[in-house]
Amino acid sequence: MEEYDAEWEYSKENIQPLRQGRSASALQQALTQQQEGSHTTLNLKKQSFESELRLYNGDDPLDVWVRYIKWTKQTYPQGGKESNLSVLLERAVMRFTADEKYQNDVRYVELWIEFVESCSDPMDVFRYMQAQGIGTMQAIFYIAWAEEYEKRGNMKMANSVFQDGIKCGAEPSERLHSFHRALQARVCRQMMSSIADHQKGEEKELDEPQRSSLTELKAKGKKKNTIPFNRANASLGYARGLQFKQPLGPKQNSRLMVFDDNKAENEPQEPKFEVWTAPPTARAKENEEKPVKWSNVKLPLRPRPGLSVVAPPSRSSFQPFVEEDDQPPAVTPCKINPAVNSVLSTRKPSRLEALTPMKKLQESQTMLMQLQTVAEDGKSREQSMYCRELLYSGASEFCFEELRAERYRQKLDLEKRRGQEH
Amino acid sequence: MVFAECSRNPTNGRRGCNQLVLISCWRTVMSLFGTSAGFGSGTTGVFGSNAADTHNPMKDVEVTSPPDDSISCLSFSPPTMPGNFLIGGSWANDVRCWEVQDNGQTVPKAQQMHTGPVLDICWSDDGSKVFTASCDKTAKMWDLNSNQAIQMAQHDAPIRTIHWIKAPNYNCVMTGSWDKTLKFWDTRSANPMMSLQMPERCYCADVVYPMAVVATAERGLIVYQLENQPSEFRRLESPLKHQHRCVAIFKDKQSKPTGFALGSIEGRVAIHYINPPNPAKDNFTFKCHRSNGTNTTTPQDIFAVNAISFHPVHGTLATVGSDGRFSFWDKDARTKLKTSEQLDQPITACCFNHNGNIFAYSSSYDWSKGHEYYNPQKKNYIFLRNAAEELKPRNKK
Repeated sequence: MEEYDAEWEYSKENIQPLRQGRSASALQQALTQQQEGSHTTLNLKKQSFESELRLYNGDDPLDVWVRYIKWTKQTYPQGGKESNLSVLLERAVMRFTADEKYQNDVRYVELWIEFVESCSDPMDVFRYMQAQGIGTMQAIFYIAWAEEYEKRGNMKMANSVFQDGIKCGAEPSERLHSFHRALQARVCRQMMSSIADHQKGEEKELDEPQRSSLTELKAKGKKKNTIPFNRANASLGYARGLQFKQPLGPKQNSRLMVFDDNKAENEPQEPKFEVWTAPPTARAKENEEKPVKWSNVKLPLRPRPGLSVVAPPSRSSFQPFVEEDDQPPAVTPCKINPAVNSVLSTRKPSRLEALTPMKKLQESQTMLMQLQTVAEDGKSREQSMYCRELLYSGASEFCFEELRAERYRQKLDLEKRRGQEH
Repeated sequence: MVFAECSRNPTNGRRGCNQLVLISCWRTVMSLFGTSAGFGSGTTGVFGSNAADTHNPMKDVEVTSPPDDSISCLSFSPPTMPGNFLIGGSWANDVRCWEVQDNGQTVPKAQQMHTGPVLDICWSDDGSKVFTASCDKTAKMWDLNSNQAIQMAQHDAPIRTIHWIKAPNYNCVMTGSWDKTLKFWDTRSANPMMSLQMPERCYCADVVYPMAVVATAERGLIVYQLENQPSEFRRLESPLKHQHRCVAIFKDKQSKPTGFALGSIEGRVAIHYINPPNPAKDNFTFKCHRSNGTNTTTPQDIFAVNAISFHPVHGTLATVGSDGRFSFWDKDARTKLKTSEQLDQPITACCFNHNGNIFAYSSSYDWSKGHEYYNPQKKNYIFLRNAAEELKPRNKK
C-alpha cells in the first residue's frame, strides 16, 4: 500500500481541490501519466472528446461538454494552461447562453458557477445570469451568489439574494432555506461577538496589551477582519474562503446594523441592468490572443512586423522594456480588462479596448457564434463562408480535413461494428 | 492496369520547340472537342450536360476518369521524366495516375489504394516513385514501373503532408502528421531516421531544398533547414490572423528558396521572405477569394484559400479557393494577373507541370461548410489549362 499512494503525497500542494472531491484512482493515474510524460493517451482522449463535440447530433450537446470538462478536471489536477479548462468552461458557457432548455439545467448552472470563479468580476456575471434567466430556478445559483456577497462583507445583499431565491421558488428549496438560515446564524454570531468585543474593549483599555495564547485572534485597527468559523455546517463558503484564489476582502463587521427580515427591502446597490446582451469579461487574458476579425477595426498605431517598440503615450513615466521578438503592443486585440492593465499599458487604447469589456465580448461572441461580424455601426461588413462553429467548437481548432476525417472514422467504426454483429 | 513505358522524346532543345508545339497543339485540341466557340469549348457536348452548367466555366480540358470523391492533392511529374504525368489523391482512398499527352488528351494509367482517404502525394526526384500519405496513418511508396506500392512510413495520426527531400548527402521523405511530429524516412528502413516534435498538428508544408516550411494548427509556423540533416531553423510569428491552410515556397532569381506564401482560411495570403533587406516593406499580405469587393451594401463573402502554387519559370503564383475560383498573381509587381469565372464547387488543389505550361486544378467539395453540404452524388473534376501566357509577370513599373 505504501508504494501506491506515494504519487499524490508528493504533489499535494499542486492539486487543486474539487468541491465534489477527487477520485483517488483517477488522481493517481493522472499524476503518473504526467510524470512519465506520456501524452499520447491523454492526447487521444482529448482528441476523441474534441471530435465528439463536433460530430454530436443528438438532443443533449451539453452532456458532451460536461463530460469533457469533468475529465479535464480529473486528468489535470493542477489546472493550468495545459488543461485548457478555463477555455473549455468559457466556451461551454457561451455556447448555450441562448438555449432556453438549458437555462435551468443543473449541470449548466454548475458550469456557470465554476466559470464565475475565474472571472474578474463575479458580481457582474451573477447579475447577467439573473437578467438572462440562467439558473434562476436553481438553489445553487443563489447560494453561490450570496456567498460572493458574504465574502465581500455585504450581508444585506447576501440575505436579499436568498430572499430572491425563495421568492422565485428555486429548487431544491430545503437546501436554499438551510443555507439562508446558516447565513443568518453567522450574521447574528458576528454581531454578538462584535458587541462583546466592543464591551470588552471599553473595559480593557487601560490594561497593557497582552498577547493571550490559544484564543481567538483579534485584528488591530479599524477594520476587523474576522473569518467566520462555522465549519459544522459544511457550507460552501468556508472551504472556498480558505482557498488561495480568492482572498477575503475587508469586512465591515464593527458596526453592523441588525437587519430585519420584514423591513429589509430589495435594495440593490447598483441599478439592475435590463438588457445584457453579452456576458462580461472572464478574466485578464494577457497571454492569450484570439484570431479575431481585423477588417472592421481600425487601429491608430499599427507598426509593421519587424519594428520592435511602439512609442508609448506620454502617460507613463517609464518605458517598459519590450523585447524585439515581442508582438508590437498596439497590434493585439486581446481581451485585456482595462482596469487590470491600466498601470502597464504603454499603448494608445485601440478601438477594441476603448470599448467596455461588455461590448468587446459581445463582438467576439458574435464572431464565434455566428457567421457574420458586426462592425461598430451595426452593419455587417464581412461574412466568413465556412463552418466556423464546427472548427472552433472545442478547446482547440480543427481544420476542414480533420472534421471530414473524423466523420469518415466514425462511419468506419459504425460499419465495423455492424460487420461484427452479423 | 499496367503502367506502360512512355515514349521517349528527344531531350535536346526540348524546352524551346516543344513549348511552341504544345501551344499549337492545345489550340487544335480545343477544336477537337466540339463547337467553334473559340479557345476550348470544353466537354459539355461530349458529356451531355446542359449549357447552363457551371462546372467548367473556363472551358478547360477535363481529365478523364476523375476520382469518385473530393480530390485532395495534385502533382505533376518532375522534369527528369519525359512527358507529363499527373497524380491525384482523393477522399475515395485512391491515388490515380494519368498521362497528359501533347495533344491534350489524358489517359488513365494506374491506380493505387489506401485504407483511408489520401491527403497528400509527391514524386521522387527521378520520377520513378510516387509517395502517398493517408488518413490511415501510413504513407506508401508506389513504384510506377512495377506498379507496386509498399508502406514506408507510420504515424500515430493521419499524415497530412509528404515531401521528397533530395540533398547532396542524403535522400529522404518528410511526413508531417496530426500527431504533431515531423518524421524523415529513409525508404529502406522501417524506422524514421529522424523525428522532430512540433508545437501543434501539421496543417500544410512545402520543401525546396535546403528549406522546408511547416504551418501548424493554432497559427504555428516553423522553418526548417535541411543541409546536412534536417533541423529547426526558426519559429515565426504568423503574419496571418486566421487558421493556416496552405503554404508554398518561392525562389529568388538564382533559384534559391527565399520565402514562402501562406494562405489562410479567410481569404488572405501572406508573402513572407526569410531574410529580407527590409521586412516591413518586403513582407506583405493580400486579400483574395472574396466577393463583392467594392460593394459596401452587401457583406463581403470570405472564402478559404485551399492551395497555392508557384509557376516554375515565371515565379508568379496561382491560388485556388473555396469560392470556386482560381487567381493568378504577380507577387513582385503586387498585382493580380487574372481571376477565373466561378465554378459551382470549391477548387481544392492545383499544380503546375515542370515547365509551367499546364496548370491543373480540381473541382470538388472541400468540406468548408461541414457535413451538411456534402453531396456524394456530385461529380468531381480535374481541369487542365494552358498556363504559358497567363502567368507571365507584369513589367515592373
